[in-house]
Amino acid sequence: MFAHIKRYAPFVLSLFGGLALWEIAGRNSSPAFLVPLSATLVRLVQLVETGHLVELFLSSASLFATGFVAAVVIGMPLGLLLARVRLLREALDLYIMILYATPMVALIPFILSLMGFGFVPKALVVFLFAVFPILYNTIEGARSIKPELIEVARSYRSREWALWREVMVPYTLPYTMTGVRQAIARALVGMVAAEFFLSSSGLGGLIMGASQSFDTAGVFAAMLIIGVLGVALTRAGLMLENHFARWRG
Amino acid sequence: MSLAASVSSPQRASIFAGKFVPRLVAGIAILGLWEYVVREFAPDFVAKPSSIAEVLPGVISGGPFLESTSITLAATAEGLVVALLLGMVLGVLMGRSLIADRALRLWINGFNAMPMIVVLPLMSLWFGYTTYARFATIVFAAIFAVIINAAEGARSVPKDYIEVATSYRSGRFRMMFEVVLPASMPYLLAGLRLATGRALIGAVVAEFFTAIPGLGYFILYNSRTFHQNEAFVAVILLAGFGVGCDMLISWGTRQYLPWYRRDEKSE
Repeated sequence: MFAHIKRYAPFVLSLFGGLALWEIAGRNSSPAFLVPLSATLVRLVQLVETGHLVELFLSSASLFATGFVAAVVIGMPLGLLLARVRLLREALDLYIMILYATPMVALIPFILSLMGFGFVPKALVVFLFAVFPILYNTIEGARSIKPELIEVARSYRSREWALWREVMVPYTLPYTMTGVRQAIARALVGMVAAEFFLSSSGLGGLIMGASQSFDTAGVFAAMLIIGVLGVALTRAGLMLENHFARWRG
Repeated sequence: MSLAASVSSPQRASIFAGKFVPRLVAGIAILGLWEYVVREFAPDFVAKPSSIAEVLPGVISGGPFLESTSITLAATAEGLVVALLLGMVLGVLMGRSLIADRALRLWINGFNAMPMIVVLPLMSLWFGYTTYARFATIVFAAIFAVIINAAEGARSVPKDYIEVATSYRSGRFRMMFEVVLPASMPYLLAGLRLATGRALIGAVVAEFFTAIPGLGYFILYNSRTFHQNEAFVAVILLAGFGVGCDMLISWGTRQYLPWYRRDEKSE
C-alpha cells in the first residue's frame, strides 16, 4: 500500500501541480489569451450536454478509424510481400523511404482540388499519413532477417507457408508494430489536418470554429480532448509494440 | 528501435550502388503509371511528371519560389535552433535531476503525444496571422522530441564517467559540457532528426493556416489557381529536404559516432 503511494505520488503531484498552474495562470490573464482549467471544463460540460461533443467525437473517430485501418490492411500485407520478395523490396525501398520522409501535409492542397471536401479524401489524408511508417518499418524488419535463417529453412525443404509462419512473420512483425505505433501518432495528425484543411468537421472542426469565434474556452476544451485522445492512443501503440517486441531477437 | 540495426550496417551505405537497376526500373514504372493515369483520367491542370519537368526550370529560377523557399527554411531553422536550445536545457535537467523528471515527465510525454497541429488555431488567436504564429508552431512541434531524447541521453551517461569527473573535482559546468553533452550526443542527434522533420511540417502547416508567405503558401496558392505542376515542385523540394536532413544526420552519426547503434525515441 505504502509502496503504491510512493510510486504514484510524484505523478499525481505533477498532474495536479500542472493543472493548478494552468488554473492560476488562466485566472490572471486575459480570457482571450488563456482560459483557466475550470472554465475549460465548464465549456466541456456544455458541449457534452448539447450532445454536440459526442457527435463530433464520433465523426473524428470514424475518420481516424477508416484511414488507419486502411493503412494497416494495405500496409501490412504489402510490407510482408516486400519483405519476402527481395527484388521488389530493392526496387521500391528508396521510394518508400522518400515518401516516409515527405511531409504529407504538403499533398493536402492537391487532394483538395482533385477530390473535394468529402469523407473519402479526408480518409485518404489519414491513410497517407499512416501507411508509410508501416511499410518503412516492415522493410527494415525484413532487412534484419539473417539470410542464414532462410537458407536453413530452405535446406530443410521448408514449404513457403512454413517459411512465412516460422521466419518471415515472427521476425518482421515486431518492426511492423513499431511502424503501427508511429502510424497511430501520424494518423492522428492526419485526422486533425484533414479536418482543418479539407472541410471543417469533427474535433478539428470544433477547434477551428471556436477559434474563429474567439471562443478560447472552446479551443482549450477541444485541445484537451484531442490531447487526452493522443495520450491514450500513444499508450495503446506502445503496449502493442512492446507486446511484439518480446519476439525480437 | 527499427532504424537502429541497419543504419550503421554497411547495407545502408550501398543506397546508390548495387540496387541501381531495379530501382531505376521501378522509378520509371511509377512515373509512367502516374503520367498515364493523369493523361487518361484526370483534367488538364492535374500535376503529371512531364508537365512538372517542363515547368521545373522556370519555377526554380523564379523569384516567388526562391523567396518562399528561403523564408520557410529560415523560419524552420530559427524555430529549430530555439527548440534545440530550450529542449536541451529542459531535457538535460530532466535526465540529471530526479525531481525535475518527476515534475515534468507527465506533461512532456502528454504534449508529445498531442498531434502538434492542434495548436495552430490557438497560435493564430495568440499571435494573429503573423510569422510569430509560425515560429511558435515550429517550436512547439519540434521541442518535445528534443526534450525526450536529451533526457534519455543525459540519463544514459555511464555512471563511471560522472564518478571520474567528480573525483577530479570537475565543476558542474564542465561536467555538463565536457561529459554529459558529448556522451548523450547520439540521442541528441536522434532527437534532432525527429525534430527537423516535425519543424518542417509545422512550418508548412502554419503557412497553410495563416496564409503567410512561404513554401506552404506557395503550394496552397498555386494548387488553388490550377498551377498544380508548379506547386508540386515545392513538394519535391520539401521531400528532398526531409530526405536530405535524414541522410545528413545518418551520415554524421556514422562518421563521428560509428560505435553507436541509433535508437529512435518518441515518434
